[in-house]
Amino acid sequence: MAYELQYYPGATSVAENRRKHMSGKVEKLREISDDDLTLVLGHRAPGSDYPSTHPPLAEMGEPECSVREMVEPTPGAKAGDRVRYVQFVDSMYNGPSVPYFRSYAASINFRGVDPGTLSGRQVVEARERDMEEIAKFQMETEMTCPALASLRGATVHGHSLRLPEDGVMFDMLDRCRREGDVIIMHKDQVGRPIDKKVNLGKPMSAEEAAKRTTIYRVDNVAFRDDAEVIEWVHRVFDQRTTYGFKPEN
Amino acid sequence: MSEACSAANIVQLEVFPSRLLKPETAQSLLNAIADVDGIIRLFVHGPRLPQTVPYGPATGLPVQHSGNKVIEVAGQTIELSVYVGSIRIEVADVDVKEQVREVCETILTMPFEFRVGHFIPTRQTVTDYAKRGPGADPMMIGMTDPKGKLKDNPVCILKPDDIPNDME
Repeated sequence: MAYELQYYPGATSVAENRRKHMSGKVEKLREISDDDLTLVLGHRAPGSDYPSTHPPLAEMGEPECSVREMVEPTPGAKAGDRVRYVQFVDSMYNGPSVPYFRSYAASINFRGVDPGTLSGRQVVEARERDMEEIAKFQMETEMTCPALASLRGATVHGHSLRLPEDGVMFDMLDRCRREGDVIIMHKDQVGRPIDKKVNLGKPMSAEEAAKRTTIYRVDNVAFRDDAEVIEWVHRVFDQRTTYGFKPEN
Repeated sequence: MSEACSAANIVQLEVFPSRLLKPETAQSLLNAIADVDGIIRLFVHGPRLPQTVPYGPATGLPVQHSGNKVIEVAGQTIELSVYVGSIRIEVADVDVKEQVREVCETILTMPFEFRVGHFIPTRQTVTDYAKRGPGADPMMIGMTDPKGKLKDNPVCILKPDDIPNDME
């Protein structure tokens, strides 16, 4: 019988959502066009060619190397794209993802990525077209709610603040706004105004966000409610301490 | 502003809504609180809204945040440079405290915390002393951003007629 990856312990909805994010088996909730994605990322003009830092690998004449022969380059590396980044911020108020699980999702399901995990934000660096693939995947699926998570390349302040009255995570650069029942982005991820308003889709209701979140919260699913997670966290900490303990020193 | 009141009875309050307040809601709440008799001073607290982008490739571009509006409280115009997160108030006595609580319950549509405590400094810090000197008005202590410049953070006197002569 083939071994099936388990990813994460626990029986609660939060544990189940964490497994979904890590395995990449997430529900697609919205559609964002390639041009809209390029606009909000702000690295190049929509419809323009990908600028490159080196010629395509096929033209470069690579040296003989068993590893190069064994590992298929990603489309971005093959074409010689620049390395570019996408950065997400998730609200602590039942945001659908958290930096660690965005990083797990990127590392497990995509190749050629360099995820950076910080307390309130998560950045992925990759070749431009590979990065766009990850950004699109995360923005179109249940890993992102346009109100409780947003693209923020700079000035990321907001993940730990109370939500404003309209439920859209505070952003001091005002990149996202609620217009009617949808969230629109009228600036790119670093705060430069863009030519058109990009529709990011409907935000999740409070109940849906509580159901889809990967954050343990006392007012939703408490960490202590998940006995299996507690058991494994204890085991990891216990073994880390035991293996780090060297009495002969 | 109330009439001269006994320092022993003064109570400091904090209204802490579960959501950050829109400028319109903040304006209604501040107006209603300003109408209560016995409010000595208050200040609004919250995340700052910059006029221009402070970091990154867009540094210097105007932000034009929807929360950065001019509101009118008790006939005075005030430019909100923060998204209102909490309001800290000094009131004359506990009776006024209950009136403020009633006002908040009427205006705010979301749950809020209502705390009594020590929220506004009563003694000058070294920075205050350096800025205002030894003869500073005690009512102004703790009323401006300690990191900002005094000229950029004017204290708004809502009801100048109510200030007792000995405090002017």
